[in-house]
Amino acid sequence: MATTISKPATLVGKGIRRQEDPRLITGTAVYVDDIKMPGMHHAAIVRSPHAAARIAGINTEAALAHPGVVAVFTGADVKNLGAVPCASSLPGLRVPHHHLLAQDRVYYTGHPVAVVVATDRYVAADAASLVEVQYDPQPAVADPEKALAAGAPAVHPQWPDNTSFTFHQEGGDTGQAFRDAEIVVKQRITSQRLIPTSIETRGVVAEWRPGEKSLTMFTSTQIPHLVRTLVAGILGMPENHLRVITPEVGGGFGSKLNVYAEEALMCYIAKEIGKPVKWVESRRENFQATIHGRGHVDYYELAAKRDGTMLGLKLKLIQDLGAYHQLLTPAIPTLSVLMMPGLYKFKSISADIIGVFTNCVPTDAYRGAGRPEATHGIERMVDILAAELHMDPAEIRFKNFVGKDEFPYATTTGLFYDSGNYALPLQNAMAQVDYAGLRQEQATARAAGKLMGIGLSTYGEICAIGPSAAMPAGGWESATVKIEPSGKVTVMTGASPHGQGEETTFAQIVADELGVDIDDVMVVHGDTAVVQYGIGTFGSRGTAVGGAALFYALQELKAKIKKFGAMLLGSDNVSLVGGSCVDDATGKSVSFAEMAVAAYHAKTLPPNTQPGLVATYFWEPPNFTFPFGAHIVVTDVDRETGRISIRRYVAVDDCGKIINPLLVAGQVHGGVAQGLGQALWEEAVYDEQGQLITGELTDYALPKASFMPLIESSHTETPSPVNPLGVKGVGEAGTIGCSPAVVNSVVDALSPLGVRHIDMPLTPQKIWKLIVQSGGLS
Amino acid sequence: MKISGVYTLNVPQERAYALLQDPAILAKCMPGCEGLDRIAENQYAMRMKMVLASISGLFAGKVTIADPNPPTGYRLIVEGSGKIGFMKGDGVLMLSPAGSGATVHFEGDVQVGGTIASVGQRLLDTTSRMLIKRFFTRLAAESAQAGVERVAAD
Amino acid sequence: MIPQTFEYTAPQTLEEALGLIAGGDRKILAGGMSLIPLMKLRLATPGEVVDLGRVSGLNGISENGGVVSIGAMTTHHAIETSRVTRAHCPLLAETAGHIGDVQVRNVGTLGGAVAHADPAADYPAALLALEAQIKLISAQATRSVAASDFFLDAFTTALEPGEIVLEVEVPAEDQSEGYSYEKVPHPASGFAVVGIAARIKKDGNRIAMARIGVTGMGAHAFRALAAEKVLENGGSVADAAATVGDGETPNSDLYASADYRLHLARVHAARALATAISRAS
Ligand SMILES: Cc1cc2nc3c(=O)[nH]c(=O)nc-3n(C[C@H](O)[C@H](O)[C@H](O)COP(=O)(O)OP(=O)(O)OC[C@H]3O[C@@H](n4cnc5c(N)ncnc54)[C@H](O)[C@@H]3O)c2cc1C
Repeated sequence: MATTISKPATLVGKGIRRQEDPRLITGTAVYVDDIKMPGMHHAAIVRSPHAAARIAGINTEAALAHPGVVAVFTGADVKNLGAVPCASSLPGLRVPHHHLLAQDRVYYTGHPVAVVVATDRYVAADAASLVEVQYDPQPAVADPEKALAAGAPAVHPQWPDNTSFTFHQEGGDTGQAFRDAEIVVKQRITSQRLIPTSIETRGVVAEWRPGEKSLTMFTSTQIPHLVRTLVAGILGMPENHLRVITPEVGGGFGSKLNVYAEEALMCYIAKEIGKPVKWVESRRENFQATIHGRGHVDYYELAAKRDGTMLGLKLKLIQDLGAYHQLLTPAIPTLSVLMMPGLYKFKSISADIIGVFTNCVPTDAYRGAGRPEATHGIERMVDILAAELHMDPAEIRFKNFVGKDEFPYATTTGLFYDSGNYALPLQNAMAQVDYAGLRQEQATARAAGKLMGIGLSTYGEICAIGPSAAMPAGGWESATVKIEPSGKVTVMTGASPHGQGEETTFAQIVADELGVDIDDVMVVHGDTAVVQYGIGTFGSRGTAVGGAALFYALQELKAKIKKFGAMLLGSDNVSLVGGSCVDDATGKSVSFAEMAVAAYHAKTLPPNTQPGLVATYFWEPPNFTFPFGAHIVVTDVDRETGRISIRRYVAVDDCGKIINPLLVAGQVHGGVAQGLGQALWEEAVYDEQGQLITGELTDYALPKASFMPLIESSHTETPSPVNPLGVKGVGEAGTIGCSPAVVNSVVDALSPLGVRHIDMPLTPQKIWKLIVQSGGLS
Repeated sequence: MKISGVYTLNVPQERAYALLQDPAILAKCMPGCEGLDRIAENQYAMRMKMVLASISGLFAGKVTIADPNPPTGYRLIVEGSGKIGFMKGDGVLMLSPAGSGATVHFEGDVQVGGTIASVGQRLLDTTSRMLIKRFFTRLAAESAQAGVERVAAD
Repeated sequence: MIPQTFEYTAPQTLEEALGLIAGGDRKILAGGMSLIPLMKLRLATPGEVVDLGRVSGLNGISENGGVVSIGAMTTHHAIETSRVTRAHCPLLAETAGHIGDVQVRNVGTLGGAVAHADPAADYPAALLALEAQIKLISAQATRSVAASDFFLDAFTTALEPGEIVLEVEVPAEDQSEGYSYEKVPHPASGFAVVGIAARIKKDGNRIAMARIGVTGMGAHAFRALAAEKVLENGGSVADAAATVGDGETPNSDLYASADYRLHLARVHAARALATAISRAS
């Protein structure tokens, strides 16, 4: 037996490159659309061009007669199957029955009406245009506030007020706070509809194996296990006969944290035609029929003392739900309410949500899901208050932050902030930009008639979602770790990473815990027949919940390993060091490979010892985690054209302990890009008739690489006590911190013209109109 | 989308009104119109082939003339739908004398749906104005000709 | 997004190509950057597509006797980077560099862009300012049309059925000339919300010649003749720019209303002129 031990350097904390990247950038990764099966058929979906219409008739004859077409399915075929599920329940929630295909009415442009199945996708597309649907258009309403107005067209005729639910939450005594107030500021703030736009659109391949009575579905999703349970439910089949595989997923941002009609439809069709069937969403379908994000109209009132102490916050939140509830549609605005106090010590809050149906595609979780809206609201309100009081926006924040010695901090919304030092990122960011110097520069610029803005946002978010009590379908996560007979390590995580890089971070954790080489670790995910049940990746939970489950599984596995090591070494006092088990007394060691052989060959096991080296852990988090940070954005506004340029973007984020700084940087950059997208460019626009007029990437302005400023990103590291890794989550931070910092900066730039608020996106035209209105062009 | 405009025709107001109501003239002047067939009083079925550079589409629909108030104006409703989408134009034409000719002032609303609405945003305003201009240009040509014919027939 | 079924032919010679497009429901394919998206959306449904990609002699840039000839199949990238265009018609090279993105510039062609005549395309502004000639050819004849007579309306040009763009002839710019292309790109499509191409010749401190092409503003690109006059008569840049768009009904869309577009055109006209003047010697 070997006696030399080489302990590898720790990997956690190192910016090692992503294990998954080579296959992604060399085109060797396998996505849904790469899957080919013998006899595979192709589906094309006929979608409504109308936002609201009765279906007077559907004629499928011409499509069926088209050579190569094998079947056409319409609403009547799937009438008795289950509905597309909504997992959130709120008191009094009105849930329209969401059939897989439209029945007698369509409710939004893009509503699926029929499915054409053919031998190839070209034939399917040709035949889809031959399906004749007779529509009898009805009045539509696409704006949530208009939908609430008296006499508005009813999205669902049975609910003429277009209200799906109202929800009230209160903490502390807002009545008192507003009576005590020396100043109250009010503002209407919107958070526009956005299109999540993952590079890979949705796609499904379904295969029915009659012999096994089993269905296999490949789908581009963030939640394979939940999709399995819920699609099996829709189809009325035993869930253990449905296998869901998520191959490579090219982004989701929340849009694939869902169960879609097309998933159930393809399973149903595969079984009906007895052939595998594929459907891959086009970009236009993706824009029209995959969930959108945001869609808030918020009315805020903030009560404060003249010294800047904030007392109470009221919010009336109008949520544009769209025509149906997807998986979490009604739950998203409740997350906004939870986070409405931000990082500040509010004594009281009061919120009323009105969930409104519109003739639009449903809204649901999109990067940040409820928290960017909340952060945008509170961070705008704090700036408006500061302006009103002629206080510096940094000073008012420092004054109201929860103190670093006050954790865990109970908020008025019923949360317990885990840990933090909220002043530190802001101090760091201010030092980095030389805040005082910048303000001086701004004074000089203003004197010269230039429009220069400095904007801050200090955000908090709720991550590691979340304790099961707060979740519709459980908020734990699972992990299995196996030492294979060869000594190699396989991890199976219930989280379903799709670009976040957990194949790397999880391997880093395993390599450190077991002392093995990172290349000996394989992280497997996204196959319900292989991986134990899991919840999925969303809500910045992959590492903070999934990683913690992995950590605990590793502890159990280590205990088992030691048993085998002790057996082989004939000693009771052994330690795991550098991929080996070492006798503390003699220094003799056995390698993983040797212990694995002993565990699997199992020739000489002590009594009551199970062969094999496998541990599985289902971890229930005791709390959420609460990352935080400060972003400072310096902008220059072109007085003549309204064009905004970002001179500096400084982000200081605290996501708890950092496992891989390279991946954290990637998340911050991507998050900021999407935050900038909302702040400056993106908006899903439906016209009065409910037509999505930003229906393609030629009209919907996603940020391009060339639009991006340099992001000066740094971190503070406040470990979370919630999980053993001390991590908090970082997937959404950039998005959440970004938009208010940008808007605060531009409003600051325009404040000499009397501007106090601007709704996103800050298009040059909007800015120019404000400049003209204020007479500032002369 | 709101549309409006003013065009002048070189025929007296009464004649301009008559021309603007004449299905044969409308059919000739509406860009892409391949025929108007009467289906009811003041209502015509329409076939249209829109060609705009590479873009082409067949539309079927109807043209309705409502609230006629000769010779000062009427309401014109044009609806069509086809594979690439659907459209509805609803507007009021108001005529007034202008020297020896007539001025046509119109104001209305155009709605489009389907593919043309979801991908045509950037070009909708430009192209609809262009099509309306073509209509009036042809109408002007027709009216000149019609004027001559009438004179000859008188 | 899948186009309707179509036939595809790739002729090797110009005669063959011209013969093919002389009749039938046929569309020419050049770079495909405009045609293919329309086909995928089924807004264009040609029965047959005739690819010019393999026809020899349509691609290339040369200068001869003060005229730069650019073949229809020359890519935006080639025009942007060619030594000939940079030396003899730098305005066109600069304009080409503003089209779309690298991928589009690598594939899209001058002939395609000119024939497509998108109201927000970049080249037309420059070609008007350069007083270029568009050479057209059919199975029967060739003819040459001035840029100012070529762009007739949105997506509408002087091209007759059966005719194709053969090449574009640009009178070489004088070395002493100043030029500039100023563009406000739409953040999503990259197309010009407005684009201003300016050429200036100076005579001492006087402006001897001004040429201003404007795109994105109306149904088709146009010359800002009034503004040119103002400058040539000794007026200021501000006064000249203030006349740009006079008498036009500017386009209006979600991104820029008519009044904002007009304002942008004037602001960017002033900027383009200032740059062109500073570059003129
Ligand atoms: C993402 C994107 C961004 C873009 N941004 C811009 C931009 O910023 N500015 C800009 O100006 N353009 C832009 N374009 C359009 C681009 O410049 C196209 O390349 C150009 O409009 C068409 O050229 P093409 O060679 O691709 O032609 P194709 O798409 O192949 O053809 C276009 C049309 O012209 C016809 N045609 C082609 N060649 C000839 C010929 N020689 N004679 C007669 N008819 C012919 C075709 O039949 C077709 O109707 C963009 C395109 C894309 C996809």
